[in-house]
Amino acid sequence: MTRASWTQPVDDVGLVPFGKGIERGFDQRLLCTRGMQLEILAGLGLPVGAGLTIPVPNVPGVTSADRAKAAMNLLENISGRQISGTTDTGGLVLLRLSASAPVEAAGLPPDLVCLGLKRSVIPEGLGSRARADLAAAWWKSAAFIAEHALNVPGDELGTLDMDYPDPVERVDPFKRLCEEQGSAPFPTKRSEQVAAGARAMIERWNSPRAARARRKQNLPPDLPLALHLETVVVTEHDNEGNGFAISREMDTGVFAPNGAFRHGFRLSGERQHVGHPLSELPEGVEMLTGVLAELEGRLRSAVIVDFEYGPEGLALVGLEQIRRPSARVATSLAVDLAIRGIIEEDEAVDQTDASHVLELLHPQPKLTGQEVVLVTGLGASPGAAVGQIALDSETAVEMSEAGLPVLLVMSETTPGDLPGMMAADGILTVNGGSASHAAVVARGMGRPAVCGAGGLRIDREARTITSGEHTLSEGAVVSLDGATGVAYVGELSIERPTPSPSLTTLLTWADDARRLGVRANADNGPDMEVAVDNGAEGIGLCRTEHQFMGDRLPLVRAVILSHDLDAEEAALAALADAQREDFRELLRAVGDRPVTVRLLDAPMHEFLPSDPEELADVHQRRMLDHLHEENPMLGVRGVRLALMHEGLYPAQVEGLFNAWVDVVASDDIRPQLEVMIPLVSIPDELVMMLRLIRRVNQQVSSRTGMIIPFTIGTMVETPRAALMADRLAQWAEFLSFGTNDLTQLTYGFSRDDVERRMLGTYLEKGLMTASPFAELDGEGVATLMEYAAAKARAVRPGIKLGICGEHGGDPSSIALCEQLGLDYVSCSPTRIPVARLAAAHARIRTTATDS
Amino acid sequence: MADVVLSEEQHEALVTMVVRGMARGEATAEQTALAEAGLILIKGPMMMPTPAGTAYVSELMRLPDDAPQRERIMATFERFLPVNRQLRDLCTAWQVRPDGSVNDHADENYDADIRDRLDDIDDAVAPLLKRFSEDIPRMTGYRGKLTESLEKLDDGDNAWLASPLIDSYHTVWMHLHQELLLTIGMSRKEDEELEERLVSGAGA
Repeated sequence: MTRASWTQPVDDVGLVPFGKGIERGFDQRLLCTRGMQLEILAGLGLPVGAGLTIPVPNVPGVTSADRAKAAMNLLENISGRQISGTTDTGGLVLLRLSASAPVEAAGLPPDLVCLGLKRSVIPEGLGSRARADLAAAWWKSAAFIAEHALNVPGDELGTLDMDYPDPVERVDPFKRLCEEQGSAPFPTKRSEQVAAGARAMIERWNSPRAARARRKQNLPPDLPLALHLETVVVTEHDNEGNGFAISREMDTGVFAPNGAFRHGFRLSGERQHVGHPLSELPEGVEMLTGVLAELEGRLRSAVIVDFEYGPEGLALVGLEQIRRPSARVATSLAVDLAIRGIIEEDEAVDQTDASHVLELLHPQPKLTGQEVVLVTGLGASPGAAVGQIALDSETAVEMSEAGLPVLLVMSETTPGDLPGMMAADGILTVNGGSASHAAVVARGMGRPAVCGAGGLRIDREARTITSGEHTLSEGAVVSLDGATGVAYVGELSIERPTPSPSLTTLLTWADDARRLGVRANADNGPDMEVAVDNGAEGIGLCRTEHQFMGDRLPLVRAVILSHDLDAEEAALAALADAQREDFRELLRAVGDRPVTVRLLDAPMHEFLPSDPEELADVHQRRMLDHLHEENPMLGVRGVRLALMHEGLYPAQVEGLFNAWVDVVASDDIRPQLEVMIPLVSIPDELVMMLRLIRRVNQQVSSRTGMIIPFTIGTMVETPRAALMADRLAQWAEFLSFGTNDLTQLTYGFSRDDVERRMLGTYLEKGLMTASPFAELDGEGVATLMEYAAAKARAVRPGIKLGICGEHGGDPSSIALCEQLGLDYVSCSPTRIPVARLAAAHARIRTTATDS
Repeated sequence: MADVVLSEEQHEALVTMVVRGMARGEATAEQTALAEAGLILIKGPMMMPTPAGTAYVSELMRLPDDAPQRERIMATFERFLPVNRQLRDLCTAWQVRPDGSVNDHADENYDADIRDRLDDIDDAVAPLLKRFSEDIPRMTGYRGKLTESLEKLDDGDNAWLASPLIDSYHTVWMHLHQELLLTIGMSRKEDEELEERLVSGAGA
């Protein structure tokens, strides 16, 4: 839609009854959003309210009373009601004038409700509720017209508002004010009221305030308006009213129409969220349920409809598509639409956002059913917190200064409690809702909060809190969940939730759609169990480093710092035994899946003490001094360390092969072993290691009488390795791109230094759009990978290619991996669902581009 | 505390501290004196009134029950509370989207709508502030402070609507609300109950 098209002159387009626009050749440019909503509703054969649209080109015309009169006459024909007349049930028929723009826009003028009141007199004979509503609505509209069309100063209107609290008594002084200070008296003729209303709306739309709103939304300054004229029935009858219905429950995402309604007419253009539940509607919710299902299918989004009801039944008067659905709504909708056959499963996967998956798997308090609920309130600020309770701001500050986690528990908070709120990890209040001071401030500071926990009593004298049977003293530990609004006695652990049924379904469909394998970076059994639960197909990277820390550290040190062969051999034998145990646990979790074990890769200094005094042995101290490195990350690590201590990798694989034999016998599983050599940049480094490892394999085989199948491969994490990939592939059965190091070495970046000191400036100056450590560099690093992949495949066509850097869990990097034709990505266990989805997206989108 | 004699500057510093709840930074001469008198507490870079300090200010600022302006102030205050509710609801919407997710300010349409509605609230509170100022001279400064926060917000820093850590629109509003409560001598709880009554009475 171009700007020119809005201002193109259109000849005599007339007035358009709701639902008759498309058949007359009108579109959203002319009918604007509200007109179009009613076209959609009417187009589905649904009953819509009585009203008409004054399309964009006709809006200036309707500021004259003649054209306004024509619009009113047409509306009388459409509705079958006489304006200012009464309905069969004694309701008074008035007018509503509203505005919308060709696109969703904030800053629109408010609805003018209850125009067309004869001589602007609030009539007697209505019930008290109807009369009060009418007077309030009329005042709002009249004051708006006075300010924007008659130039009555807003201050004066404000003063009038205060001096005459009863809007009925305000009418006469208001008319006098218009006569004295306005450019004209308030119009008495009804068509003149409508014309003045249109003028006021146009003026307001041209005001600095509305211009600012358009600027904030990047909308054109000359965005036009269409106006909409409808009937309003002011009535006291309970069988007439209005409301809204949302197609889905916001917290679960499930299709379940919900909303609210109230008796009487719509007081303003804004939805009134307080009212009766839909289940109490005189007509029931069946029709609305059908309408919402129909609309969701047609619009492929969650929707809200506004409705009115009266003696003739239900009429729809508004429609909103939920543009930014929550993760639960989006996933649940996508699955429902696919099951209904409205979209393909691939489309459902495609329209699910990776951020939704992350959101749904966000850590939450772990509930076992055993926890003790202290009290329930409103979830006022999301997040979970655990801490000792403090009953006033001062105590919270003191406890926090003592280094304790604190939950501030108060009846309600005031600005005076700000120090305590800042000191606290979470906030619990007895009074107040989600708009209370505590809630607004807690969200502003990012603190989890539960508010309005009315079941809680605070005894400031005894320094205790009590809820039901629980009495806790100040300092006791409490946990709270700011999302669900529940506070628990004691400490709750925080964990990731299991996927919802919709998400599980979507991920299964994603698995059908993707080509890339998804593996986990997992170092031990528990990690792998999480990974398997999340759908990992195997381990793409098992780092053996951590197995050397803790009580194993002296063994590694003994190897590295050894000065006699016997001591080194003894240490290696102990290492092999220790590794056997580690690998048994890991392989049990792996089952029959593949597992890539990367032999020791950590830089040497990670195993050595920073303080020589820690070493008892004087020879070791001398050796430590000798081994000092200026730049350990580029020093003796990976295969280099293994070549200097030739017993190291054989000891590791001996542990691995023995563990394999153990679990095959004990658990009847056959993990697929893949042994990976890190930091290779010279092909012969790989060849030498290969010989050592094969020798150990044969030794273990002959000792146990079992053939132990394994493949051997190498990391590609130096540019030289990428450039020599064809030579590596002569020996390696798989290559795994270690893109963290490859990125560091391709750029010549030291990651920590660059991310801490330089990245911000580079992003600001536009030199980079993202950290290359978070999103794989598609121009440089990926080119090296592409070259390496092509060279390797030329030598060994079926060679397995993977990626095991952190990039393996990043959607944009996964898309690059798809383009490069890699076989799998490997990422942290918790990122697995994101990787499954992103791999499917990459495949679906590549296929779509190809065709 | 009746025997404490404060200079005009010390008095002003104490009132400011009680209205704002706290102050941060290096203590001024007045603040140091107040701390020595046991009216405020200095904890590292943070200062806050002691219960004695709060009681002192509450007693000092509270209008006598038979003050001639009391009735007028109460009438205006009852008009203020429904607007107060609107402001709190608006701040909630600014922080949390209707589905309960945190507003990440990526939806320009959503934010622009809230900013636009803030003008309605600002328009509604303007005549009330004017009227309060006629009876409570200290209220005069708030109009300018609210406008200042709006200007900063419109300069593009979203924190100026509801952040509790700066003099955002919400923070300034909280201060003026607090000052009204001290003047009337109403507790926060009574205030919330009255607001609830006024809002539900007007809306249902």
